[in-house]
Amino acid sequence: MTLTIADYVIIALYFAFVIGIGWLLRKRVTTSADFLTSAQSVPLWITSLAFVSTNLGAQELIGMCASGAKYGIMTSHFYWVGAIPAMIFVGVFMMPFYYGSRARSVPEYLKLRFDEKTRGFNAITFALMTLFSSGISMYALGLLFQLLLGWSFTASVLLSAVIVLIYTFLGGLTSAIYNEVLQFFLIVLGFAPLAILAVVKAGGWEGMAARLPEVMTSSWRHMGNPADNPMGVEVFGMVAGLGFVLSFGYWCTNYLVVQRAMAADSMSSARLTPLVGAFPKMFIPFIVILPGIAAMALAKMAIGFEIPQKNGGYNYDMVLTVLMSKFYPSGMLGVGITALMASFMSGMAGNVTAFNTVWTYDIYQGHIRRHAPDSHYLWVGRMSTIFGVALSIGAAYLATLYNNLMDLLQLVFGFVNAPLFATFLLGMFWKRATGHGAFSGLLAGTAAASLTHGLTVAEGKGGWLGSVHVFPSTMAQNFWIAIFAWTACFVVTIFISMATRPRPEGELKGLVYGLTELPREESVRWYRRPGPLAWVVGVVCVVLNLIFW
Amino acid sequence: MWDLRTPSGIFFVLLGLILGSQGVFASGARAALTTVNVNLYVGITMIVFGGILLWLAKRAS
Repeated sequence: MTLTIADYVIIALYFAFVIGIGWLLRKRVTTSADFLTSAQSVPLWITSLAFVSTNLGAQELIGMCASGAKYGIMTSHFYWVGAIPAMIFVGVFMMPFYYGSRARSVPEYLKLRFDEKTRGFNAITFALMTLFSSGISMYALGLLFQLLLGWSFTASVLLSAVIVLIYTFLGGLTSAIYNEVLQFFLIVLGFAPLAILAVVKAGGWEGMAARLPEVMTSSWRHMGNPADNPMGVEVFGMVAGLGFVLSFGYWCTNYLVVQRAMAADSMSSARLTPLVGAFPKMFIPFIVILPGIAAMALAKMAIGFEIPQKNGGYNYDMVLTVLMSKFYPSGMLGVGITALMASFMSGMAGNVTAFNTVWTYDIYQGHIRRHAPDSHYLWVGRMSTIFGVALSIGAAYLATLYNNLMDLLQLVFGFVNAPLFATFLLGMFWKRATGHGAFSGLLAGTAAASLTHGLTVAEGKGGWLGSVHVFPSTMAQNFWIAIFAWTACFVVTIFISMATRPRPEGELKGLVYGLTELPREESVRWYRRPGPLAWVVGVVCVVLNLIFW
Repeated sequence: MWDLRTPSGIFFVLLGLILGSQGVFASGARAALTTVNVNLYVGITMIVFGGILLWLAKRAS
């Protein structure tokens, strides 16, 4: 794939605009809250698109297209099961506590609701995780551009990291969020034409269904038995593991996304952010998954299109970019490459802005220097943006040297994350839950996750303690690890909470259901209220599932 | 506070102009698997989209 002058002009124009937006916002930053949390000032339409965009990283685009090619329309479960219900839940039920508690971050909510050690555990693991995930996606981007365009790994890693650094350093979270909206538009306009061209070429949905095995074009019909579908997952594992534990754990407790809603200009906007965001989110599968399915159909049509190979098998991760090279002429190719960079940057900026807030407020102010003037924390926030980016670059290079280490770290972070939703659920809806209960629940959940991984085997992974059960796929194994971790955390938190002294109810005002005054919204029009909007989102999501049943 | 729709609108109008002019002046440019003048149509779409953003921003102010 070679780029021409027009393509480079398009890439340069994009760089100029993202930096320009940061530059225009620089004057708005006078306090640490302006820089790190946007001082709760961003309008709803912007926070809701940013909420979706920050999750739409380059790895997600490439990975979802790859999954589409590998598993077919079942990949839509990652959206219609694994995102929408959790987005409804966080908006309707959890945002009143996040936003109403005046906590500046998700770990800080844990501090207010439970205690310092629960906050510390969450803050430190979260901070490390953001650095490694932005490092890993930077690594993936560097490798892709090296392979695709012949750019040097170092040049593409440094260039993209420095641009993210410039605009987040200038305008803080507001700048990251504003750019995420621009990036979202660009991703949609850059990839939707590819989906349309590829699907039309493959004969539309009917043409694809006729050329592919039936399991590729039905989302639920083959999920009764794990042996019947390529994912190797059955209905319960899918709904409980992905749809409940993993999805609610991510969308409801991961500060990366929750931060966008907490930046909204009012309680009502904060609650509506995930609900309004759910509309574009529901339709993203048509842009990212359909091209993957179409690619498999095109490969059967003898028109000179083949799925790229690697080590004797299909290299699904290259499907998206190969499609681009076959459907996009010079010019549009530049837009496609720019959209890929934009998605990478929105993911990375999300990590960087979540990292600097958790570092500054939860780790530095919480443990290192407690009572300093605000200007000091603003300075720390800015500096942590720089060293956050520097450490991510370091992580990207670490990944080039020790690929196995990165796999191991992702596995460990998965163990830590899996039980989190149980802690928040009990914390928000059961006033009897205590700090000791929450902390031991988290440890128990993490231990249960490691134990499940150690005792089960899937595709040669896990089983380092023995083999009690064999899963048909690592995806099924992951879902069940999450289910066990969540259950262990839930049960242990309840038992230890009952055995320890509860906090006086007066201290829990605004933090727990039953002791918090919920916002009254009877006077607002129905489409501006979370309840009715949640029903609309839910019904549309069910209809989409039925259409592709 | 300025409106995010203004810079976004300008960005997509400019992008659409570059892409659209590619579609007009290099109208033979085609990728391997399609006969559609992709640059022209996406360029027009972007100009329209950018125009709508600018119009919304103007209406709001």
